[in-house]
Amino acid sequence: MRSDERVFLLGEDIGHYGGAFGVTAGLFEEFGADRVMDTPIAEEGFVGAAIGAAWQGERPVVELQFADFASCPFDMIVTVAAKTHWRSGIAVPIVIRAPNGGGVRGGPFHASSPEGWFVGVPGLKVVCPGTIEDAYGLLRSAIEDDDPVMFFEHKGLYRRLKGSKPPEETRTPIGRARVVRSGSAATVITYGSGVELALGLEHDVEVLDLRTLWPFDRDAVLESVGRTSRALVLQEAARSSGVAGHILALLATEGFELLDAPPTLLAPPDTPVPFAPELEDAYLPSAHTLNAAIEDLLGY
Amino acid sequence: MLLQRTFEERTWTLYRQGRISGSMYDGLGQEAVAAAAGLALEDGDVVAPLNRELATHFARGVTVADAFRNFLGRGDGPTFGRDGNMHFGVPARGVFPLVSMLGNLCPVVVGAALAFKRRGEPHVALTFLGEGAFSVGDVHEGLNLAGVWQVPAVFVLQSNGYSYSTPSSAQMVNTNLAERIQGGWSIPAVRVDGTDAMVAFGAIKAAVERARAGEGPQAVECVTLRGHGHAAHDDASYVPAELRALFADPIERLESQLDSQEADAIRRSVVEEISAGLAEAEASPAPDPAAMEHGIYARPL
Ligand SMILES: Cc1ncc(C[n+]2csc(CCOP(=O)(O)OP(=O)(O)O)c2C)c(N)n1
Ligand SMILES: [Mg+2]
Repeated sequence: MRSDERVFLLGEDIGHYGGAFGVTAGLFEEFGADRVMDTPIAEEGFVGAAIGAAWQGERPVVELQFADFASCPFDMIVTVAAKTHWRSGIAVPIVIRAPNGGGVRGGPFHASSPEGWFVGVPGLKVVCPGTIEDAYGLLRSAIEDDDPVMFFEHKGLYRRLKGSKPPEETRTPIGRARVVRSGSAATVITYGSGVELALGLEHDVEVLDLRTLWPFDRDAVLESVGRTSRALVLQEAARSSGVAGHILALLATEGFELLDAPPTLLAPPDTPVPFAPELEDAYLPSAHTLNAAIEDLLGY
Repeated sequence: MLLQRTFEERTWTLYRQGRISGSMYDGLGQEAVAAAAGLALEDGDVVAPLNRELATHFARGVTVADAFRNFLGRGDGPTFGRDGNMHFGVPARGVFPLVSMLGNLCPVVVGAALAFKRRGEPHVALTFLGEGAFSVGDVHEGLNLAGVWQVPAVFVLQSNGYSYSTPSSAQMVNTNLAERIQGGWSIPAVRVDGTDAMVAFGAIKAAVERARAGEGPQAVECVTLRGHGHAAHDDASYVPAELRALFADPIERLESQLDSQEADAIRRSVVEEISAGLAEAEASPAPDPAAMEHGIYARPL
């Protein structure tokens, strides 16, 4: 915001209150109400307004209070933001930040990982950082990008990841995955909260952080699996949603001959996110279920 | 007005001849509103027309040839053959392309108006709303944001009696949209006869200038009757003849105020402009399927 006057923020309770998760804390004090705009509860309305402002050369960054509420401005995102450039040449540089993910007992309406609704939509870019460096680097890249970017932030990582602010010039290229840890026995292909989980594995496995879910880095997936010959896809979104199906399809169609074992998918069941601790803990991938899945894959 | 009428008559023929694909929508009987709104805007203002407002495009300087290119799905048209009929914008002219989902464009123009306000630019953003669209939640959200933010947005309500086959009275209790906008969202609104070009122009121009002067969002409800059915496949036989009899033809109405030689000269020049534009568009190249994936992103990865 200091380096580009066109950047302004729109969202619910992001002003003097600092946002439901405190992400915008301090910005209202520095930049004022014109650049940190508290909106009425009208997601379709303020995402639409962000599109109109972007049409006229601004760089709006929208906050959805929870990613689950991406259902409310869905039409604006997939109909207007996504199709406008292809259809008319008008660019729509907006960023929509949305806290996703479970583990905080949010239940069916406050803990979803709905990034899959946007994965595969032509015209949208979908990112989800799994590290502090990428949270900063991807956000800077997303704001500088000329296309609509869905920016998912895992709300569990807000508190769990600790570290210092990356240097000002840090940028994470959109569309590029990163090998967070190299290994030789298998590749864990993941993103967001899955990165933290995969880094806890004691096996000799490579961890590939997708970072961008759409359009995802096909070359990086094939390159890594080409070296390890085994693949496990790990995501917090329900198993039939999200990017996992696309990765598995890529492996089946273009990576079949690279593989020594059928690729594995570790993801929650196809239900909404449940509330009770017993249910949510069973629902989410864990160190224990990941460990077991890797053992199975390596033992194939 | 006459350009829209004559253009649309021509597209009906092209459609029946199979030279235009898809369907056909027109603004028969509403041309005065479309022209008035387009002419009320100045350079630097922006507009998002819907499907009864071809004259707005023309008034903003969109060429007849470009409009035909879109209807014919040509590769060098405003949407490169990717979208059809009046679903097009012309960025250089400040015209946003129509989005079918009714109501979507309401918040979008509010955002454009917000950009003007943020930068202190004396521009206005305008869009249209049918009474069908008026029931969509986006419209409430957009009007509310326009009011809360006090942005220079102008809403032109196209009260043409119907939403597809459903009369307004079956869609809302109070069909006086101006009253609802003024009372419900505190946005100043007037209701005028949309078949009277000069009255419509005066009302919309005044609204645009109030918005430009910093008086916040404005609305003008223009009462007309949709002349044809919703689209080509709808013969509108459900519209009672007694109702039709109540509405004047806006073009005849304006023409009666001109001397007949002047009117004839205008008619001749419009026919020529349409023929020339069509010939130009027909000579344009077809779109290339190999280029279909170009432009999905403004910044491809
Ligand atoms: C959200 C949405 N639902 C349904 C449609 C299909 N549809 C297109 S136009 C129309 C009627 C619109 O009526 P109105 O807003 O009064 O405009 P008019 O056609 O009378 O100009 C309908 C139902 C649509 N485009 N968008
Ligand atoms: Mg109508």
